Amino acid sequence: MRRRQFIKALSASLVTIHTPLLAATPLAVKSASNDKPAKLVWVIMRGALDSLHTVVPTFEPDMARLRPNLYPAIKDDLLAIDNGFGFHPAMTHMHSLYKKKQLLVINAVSSGFGERSHFDGQDFLESGLARIDADSGWLGRAAASRVNKAIAVSNSVPISLRGYDKVTTWYPSRFHSADSAIFDALQDLYQSDSLLSKRLAQGLALRQLTSEGSNGYNRGRFVDLAKSCGKILANDQGTDCAMLEVGGWDTHNYEIRRQHKHLVDLNEGLQALQESLGEYWDNTVVIMATEFGRTVKENGTLGTDHGTASCMFMAGGAVAGGQVLGEWPGLSQKQRFEGRDLAPTSNTFSWIASILSQHWRLDNQQIAEVFPQASPYRGNLIA
Amino acid sequence: MQPVDNVNISHAAAIAVNRFGIGARPDDLAAAAADPQGWVMANLRAIDFSKSSSPNSSQILIKLAEIRQLRKQRQQLLDSGMREEDGEIPQELMDPAGNYFQSTYRQLATDSFNQALASEHGVSWRLLDFFSNHFSVSASSQGMTALAATLEREAIAPYLLGSFTDMLIAVCQHPAMLIYLNNEKSFGPNSIFVQHGRLGLNENLAREILELHTLGVDGGYNQADVVELAKGITGWSVKKPVDKHTTGFKYRSYGHEPGERILLGKIYRQKGIEQGEAMLRDLAAHPNTAKFITTKLATHFVSDTPSKELLQALQQRWKQSNGNIRQVMEALVRHPDAWHHDRAKFKNPKDFVYSSLRGLGVTQVGQGQYFSTMRSLGQAPFKAGSPAGFGDMQQTWDGASALMARIEWTTETVRRTKRTEPETLMSTTLGSTVSHDTYAHVSRAESRDVAMTLFLMSPEFQRR
Repeated sequence: MRRRQFIKALSASLVTIHTPLLAATPLAVKSASNDKPAKLVWVIMRGALDSLHTVVPTFEPDMARLRPNLYPAIKDDLLAIDNGFGFHPAMTHMHSLYKKKQLLVINAVSSGFGERSHFDGQDFLESGLARIDADSGWLGRAAASRVNKAIAVSNSVPISLRGYDKVTTWYPSRFHSADSAIFDALQDLYQSDSLLSKRLAQGLALRQLTSEGSNGYNRGRFVDLAKSCGKILANDQGTDCAMLEVGGWDTHNYEIRRQHKHLVDLNEGLQALQESLGEYWDNTVVIMATEFGRTVKENGTLGTDHGTASCMFMAGGAVAGGQVLGEWPGLSQKQRFEGRDLAPTSNTFSWIASILSQHWRLDNQQIAEVFPQASPYRGNLIA
Repeated sequence: MQPVDNVNISHAAAIAVNRFGIGARPDDLAAAAADPQGWVMANLRAIDFSKSSSPNSSQILIKLAEIRQLRKQRQQLLDSGMREEDGEIPQELMDPAGNYFQSTYRQLATDSFNQALASEHGVSWRLLDFFSNHFSVSASSQGMTALAATLEREAIAPYLLGSFTDMLIAVCQHPAMLIYLNNEKSFGPNSIFVQHGRLGLNENLAREILELHTLGVDGGYNQADVVELAKGITGWSVKKPVDKHTTGFKYRSYGHEPGERILLGKIYRQKGIEQGEAMLRDLAAHPNTAKFITTKLATHFVSDTPSKELLQALQQRWKQSNGNIRQVMEALVRHPDAWHHDRAKFKNPKDFVYSSLRGLGVTQVGQGQYFSTMRSLGQAPFKAGSPAGFGDMQQTWDGASALMARIEWTTETVRRTKRTEPETLMSTTLGSTVSHDTYAHVSRAESRDVAMTLFLMSPEFQRR
């Protein structure tokens, strides 16, 4: 009960607490540097991203003790950003974007969702309302106020974009939609079934063989979806927002390998999106967030379990990048949420509200319709 | 009737709906729970295609004759020196068939599938699929492409819960089977037709009747028997029907081999069509036929290696009832060995698709969706490519690529169908028979889509 109340309170109360975190410049919405439409890409990272193995606080004295396997695996290869944080070694392109001031990271965010169920947590993050509404999503409501088209790179309209009628879905041709998250999960499930586990291993080996050098088989890969997404946004002038999904973050075991693989995907995907957007990248904001975080301590199976706060990213030529935002809660026992999780210090929706008000210039009333429970943080997120 | 383990009634309900039926619609498991055996028996209902708006074999044969006629006219014009390039061939003769063969095939097959998908009586549809595959015809030629799907509707469904003898005769007198196995032009060497220059005997249908439809390959017949049966059914042919209410079967007495026949040592002195019918009746009643078909039936429903006791019970009932299919099904359903808790059968693609879609509450699919699904999963409708039909054992279906195709299909399908909660899907399809392991993996999955895929691909959902 306490947990739920605390996290709910986050949405309302933290607005004032966190204004100082941002640059003190007044809310001055700059006009875009050219007259291209302001594009927005929403990337939901399904599965609960472990931020401590993504944006690593190297200054925390206890990291090696809390994470005796995970931390040493990447410690020496981290890509340094500001304030003592380092990106996971796989995030090379994201690191260079950060250095070019086209990517910012916000630590210790939470949507205010108070449970640890992936399904509901994702619905909550997509709906953006106090109570999950499977028929209405925040991006759909935001797009509705722009009256422009939106595209979901998906087989069906995800909750994020529901409730708006100018949404189309696009997905590469049939039967190539399973991604590594599904294969990972099936490998786990089939451990007690020798036939199916053998067949799956053979199938994956076969797939590996046939996908190399051809663009036929792996069309469900995030990098390909992101590339296509960028092309659609760049070529269809009526479409100025898109949604992508990237899974695989539920790293209960073998996190070193899994997280690496998925960060490679994310990193390459973002690069592919940027390249296919071409000059539209300059006017684009990419928001990347996850439903909740993971435990501070490593578990007994070389992974981490469901937690509370995680990090989010904003990237794009339109973003005031090169910043580490979000108050750092610390990792000591009493600084953790319930002694276990990274504690949330700001609200995901408020950050998204800020970017919507600045990038898409939604007014207060429009923002209130998109996020009835969250107000924008002040400060400039747009370059 | 023998008692069945009802300790865990919900387990039995899941078996009733999945092993005997084609998977649970959202309320089926609850309906089966009170009396699983009774539910299976009550689920055996006649399947009626008469209200279907899809064409029957007579309409198709009429259309095929028209197409042939138009093609002939076109050829005559070409032979007389007219040129297509100069626009001398009338438009209506340019492509008389158009897309007729494919579109008829797709319409019929999808219509049947959709009726099954939404049906309350899944057990009947599974049984129809069994006999349709037993009497497999393939969409091989143009004509067969249009006709293949009519056999199960017209010659199998009407006898599904009745006498196997009637079904066998109806199948062997149906245009689809006669054309598929070349009997429509099989005439006796001493018949008037052949004496006047027509081609002679074709053993194809007769051989498959003995090998695949009745006695089985080791059923104790020899090559002489094949020839004798072939001669006995000479003249069983196909003719353009007068209208859609008349059948395309035509007995051509001038093509029938005269004289008496000896099949399996028995003399058949009948004249005309009765001769072949008498042979088929005896074949249907033969003990080896009882053994062959009941073994196939038990293998299909229960296990790749059914118990001896179960096989004996089915054979016995077959003999007692003169091959009454409902009676044999009753013996199967009332036998404790048919209710073992192991899921011994690996679902074939069609079963897997049925049960997945029914679980997800889908009641209809489009033609394109149905065909691309079944092609990708390796069981395109009426494409077994052999009169032996699709294999019915695990090794036919459990290959690595096949598994990958199922994973892809499932992933896509759960993304496309309206939202169902994974927990709901688990409880409405398999009830308490979901293993703790699968339950834990599904409820812990990182997203709802992954959860749904995991469940549909789980060891217990892949089997029945």
